[in-house]
Amino acid sequence: MQLNLRRPIAVVVLAFAAIGFARTARATNTAEAAVRTTMFDEPSTKNEGVRVYHPQVDLSATVASTLAIAGGYSADVVTGATPATFDVVSAATKFSDTRHLGHASAGFERPDGGIGFSFAYGTESDYRSTVFSGTTHHDLYEHNFTLALAYSHNWDRVCDADNTAAAGQPLALVALPSSAGCFTNTMGITTQKLNIDTFEPSLSWTMTPRLVVQGGATIQILDGFQSNPYRKVLVGSQNRTPQERHPQFRQRYALFFRMAYAFPDLRASALLMVRGYDDSWAVRAITGDLVGTKYIGQYLLVSGRAHWHEQTAASFYRDADGYRILGPAGQFWTGDRELSPMGNYLLGGKIAFFRRPMQERSSWFVEMELGGKYEFLYYRPESAVAPNADRKYAQIVQGAFAMRF
Amino acid sequence: MHSLCFSKILILLGTLAVGGCSISKWTVKPHQRELLADRIMQLDAEAQERAAEEHILSNREGAIGGTGTSGGGCGCN
Repeated sequence: MQLNLRRPIAVVVLAFAAIGFARTARATNTAEAAVRTTMFDEPSTKNEGVRVYHPQVDLSATVASTLAIAGGYSADVVTGATPATFDVVSAATKFSDTRHLGHASAGFERPDGGIGFSFAYGTESDYRSTVFSGTTHHDLYEHNFTLALAYSHNWDRVCDADNTAAAGQPLALVALPSSAGCFTNTMGITTQKLNIDTFEPSLSWTMTPRLVVQGGATIQILDGFQSNPYRKVLVGSQNRTPQERHPQFRQRYALFFRMAYAFPDLRASALLMVRGYDDSWAVRAITGDLVGTKYIGQYLLVSGRAHWHEQTAASFYRDADGYRILGPAGQFWTGDRELSPMGNYLLGGKIAFFRRPMQERSSWFVEMELGGKYEFLYYRPESAVAPNADRKYAQIVQGAFAMRF
Repeated sequence: MHSLCFSKILILLGTLAVGGCSISKWTVKPHQRELLADRIMQLDAEAQERAAEEHILSNREGAIGGTGTSGGGCGCN
């Protein structure tokens, strides 16, 4: 089973979203229940690739127009094959696993602001994540400005091979063979810690009756084990294959700008996001995202999305040939595609159908929504021997159903 | 010279801070927020859908952030 290292990031995003979900429900409805399933399919030219099914259930409600509560569950059912060693010849190893994630949140809203707290817990055979988040927001100048602050802390635990014998000899690090024995005090298996602090300030401004803009930052500090315990990297002409080795510390920074502009004559809107990113591992990136949404008739909503991302490599990254010929770049090495110089481009569309009861009839629901989405994600690696260069693209399909009361 | 410019800036900022009446000229009034209240104008609408999207992209990109917090929107509530 291949460990997915961006899981802590995903849990943090979900924790923040849980608070936002509760707040949104409070602003426009009294209760909401939603079911969503996402399929991520990433084929490979060399093996069966990776497929992930992500079902999720979310519930939210407001109590006394002040207290907003929400909760939910989601899972990642992952199957596929991926090389255990980052080199040019290794065959893929099959794996499968299921990750379970539960979250709950509560928020207190007042006319000019509010505060919310969220708790999330994720578990799978080789990774456990506990996240606590808090957000607060306050409206200024007749609700034309909204200042928001969010903070979260992860207490993550990662299963790893016991490499005590390799202390001081990083090239002797041994990879974890499988998730068997994780979190059970099995000899040869240990548990590593990873603590993550994430801070997000933002300021929104209602500039005109048709334009809202938002600027903000994301600051994240990671302290702990951040390597893939299963992955080995072939380094040097002696064909040594130690376990992947990343630095213990990482500081990540992002500045972002978002805006929403209305086209009332078209019954449409455009949402734009631009992000600049930098971190202490020397990865720098720029990302853009554009979504256009339009009403068709009274009950139909269609949207199109374009996403673009370009990034540089981590300071200790080399492609497979580089590691084999030149050896490691310093004392760290990686086979992680997300630390390589690359870009990706996404195009997609979504359609949603809304059903509201007739006004003259009483009804047990306020609104019903049924939607579907398809997105195509194209990868552009730097070289043919970059990590996962055999995977050219991915497809994302999502179906959702929501009831509002 | 620099202290004179700095003083002018301070006076300007103080005038803006105290002159709440003048700021209200530039604010969007509640009766003008009809478009902003629509779901397609919400920066943070569909929070769980965005979480699912970020779940995918955060696993396929080396960058994070840009999703904003629960702030933003029309302030219509």
